[in-house]
Amino acid sequence: MTTLTAVPASAAVRRPRIRNRYLRGLATPRGVIGLALVGLVLAVGLAAPLLTSYDPDFQTADALVSPGTGDHLWGTDEIGRDLLSRLLYGIRSDVLVVLAAVPIAALVGCGLALLATAHRAADVAVQRLFDLLLSFPGLILGLTVTAIMGVGRGTIIVVIALVETPAFGRLLRGAILVHRDREYAVAARVGGAGPLRLLTRHVLPNAADPVVVHVALAMSVAVILEGAMSFIGIGIRPPEASLGSTLAASRPYLEDHPAYALGPLAVITALVVGLNLIAEALNRGARR
Amino acid sequence: MTGYLLRRLPSAFGVLLLASFAIFLVLRAVPGDPAETLAGSDPSPAAVDAIRHDLGLDRPLLAQYASWLGHAVRGDFGRSYLIGGSVSDLLGQRIGNTVELTLGALVFSVTLGLVLGVLGATVKNRFGQTLLSAFNSVSLVVPGYVTGFVFVFLFAVTWQVLPAGGHESILADPQIGFQYVLMPALVLALPVSAILSRYVKDGIEQALSEDYARTAKSLGVPPRRLLWRHALPNALPPVLTALGMQIGVLLGGAVVIEAVFAWPGLGTLAEQAVTRRDYPVVQALLLFLVAVFVVVQLLTDIAYALLDPRVRLG
Repeated sequence: MTTLTAVPASAAVRRPRIRNRYLRGLATPRGVIGLALVGLVLAVGLAAPLLTSYDPDFQTADALVSPGTGDHLWGTDEIGRDLLSRLLYGIRSDVLVVLAAVPIAALVGCGLALLATAHRAADVAVQRLFDLLLSFPGLILGLTVTAIMGVGRGTIIVVIALVETPAFGRLLRGAILVHRDREYAVAARVGGAGPLRLLTRHVLPNAADPVVVHVALAMSVAVILEGAMSFIGIGIRPPEASLGSTLAASRPYLEDHPAYALGPLAVITALVVGLNLIAEALNRGARR
Repeated sequence: MTGYLLRRLPSAFGVLLLASFAIFLVLRAVPGDPAETLAGSDPSPAAVDAIRHDLGLDRPLLAQYASWLGHAVRGDFGRSYLIGGSVSDLLGQRIGNTVELTLGALVFSVTLGLVLGVLGATVKNRFGQTLLSAFNSVSLVVPGYVTGFVFVFLFAVTWQVLPAGGHESILADPQIGFQYVLMPALVLALPVSAILSRYVKDGIEQALSEDYARTAKSLGVPPRRLLWRHALPNALPPVLTALGMQIGVLLGGAVVIEAVFAWPGLGTLAEQAVTRRDYPVVQALLLFLVAVFVVVQLLTDIAYALLDPRVRLG
């Protein structure tokens, strides 16, 4: 009779309260703060028409008024447009770019990764393509693509997709190669699973972790890159509202009208920090 | 070492040549005809043809490439389509400023990276560790233009200790020039320093766990000497490689940071040339950037070979 028997077997392998490992990761302080930051920005962007009565392009007679003057909650810019409206509609235009570009990058990158792991010759070609794309820093790629395609929303989407495709591709390729040789995969193969079933039922569910984590990181890179391109004038161009172009326009008024710059600065920071917290939370959840 | 150079140099040269052809081709394949743009509104076909002939755009592609490259290696990138004047003059005025900013950022990122890395490997208390890792995370995650605005707001607007933007040559007046370069270079350096510090920290911790470090310790080498003379030098080669890869990040980042601080470098020129499709300027800029990457990569590899005999003899 040993004391060991007193410990119920179930205690050692107690089921976690939340079974999905991503949700479990998100249900930590880190994940909740990240979700709250990103959710708040998304919510005010979605609710833009409810939160402000001004059209973002409408020029009123009051230029550069401080926050709280009249019915301009966040003041106006140098040609009398309502800054709160510019900010909220800027969020919309940014989110649109991010939500278009990141799924494209994820799909193309993962598709190429599947191709690369299926065939040796394809692997060499895909790897060289990724090397080539990764040898350009994001903004230099942005300048090059803009020189070819011209300025516009489509260009930014292409640039972000080109920057993030190799990241997704490399992550999934590496993970598939690791998991394909794990014992459980070998066992499944011995047990008679065909290549397709092995991939979809056994390898991919386990290899997907780094890709899922990277979605959040890619979104933060997309926010930063979109902001940078619009900021230097090769992204979304005025008069259309975007966070980057509003920030660029606010530069001369930093001293007299700091609220002008504070809006886009706060939103970009909230998005980037929030997305990174989410990525870290997902990563920890997946590793446990 | 000569043998290593003989193997390494031709490959660098080949990459450069290939890249130059790609840059030339890509920008020739784009839609839109600069001759028509230049001819103004509603031009006669003859006038467009005359301009096209003037610019050499009616010659075969390979002939255009050969003459472009031939001139480019002699520093002649032709004339800007839109701004007028020679491209090399246009670039010449700006390159020095961008190089000054990038070098400043390089100095800051190496210094900060080493300091933060050594601190990270030696500070053992929980509070210090949390503080360091928080600082690194923030530098890494927050984009440079956000940090730049915060710095301008704090140091130029609120405390008024540094100029909000602009440029004075650091060669003409080191003291004034330093005040202008300090903020933009620091902002540009922060994310790179965070990456470098991680390599320094990991390298030192790795080296300290090696057998030779234990032997040195048991022979009575004081911890300080163990860190600076034994662990740090062995931690440096990977840091050097990381730094080589970050040069591209610095140059790319410089384009944005120049806009934040009204720094008259290549960034503003790039933006103008790209939005107006001024091919000769864009080509010269891209070729310059690629050349910098290739040369930096080469220098990194050579430095690595000097530090690590296994590389040059292998």
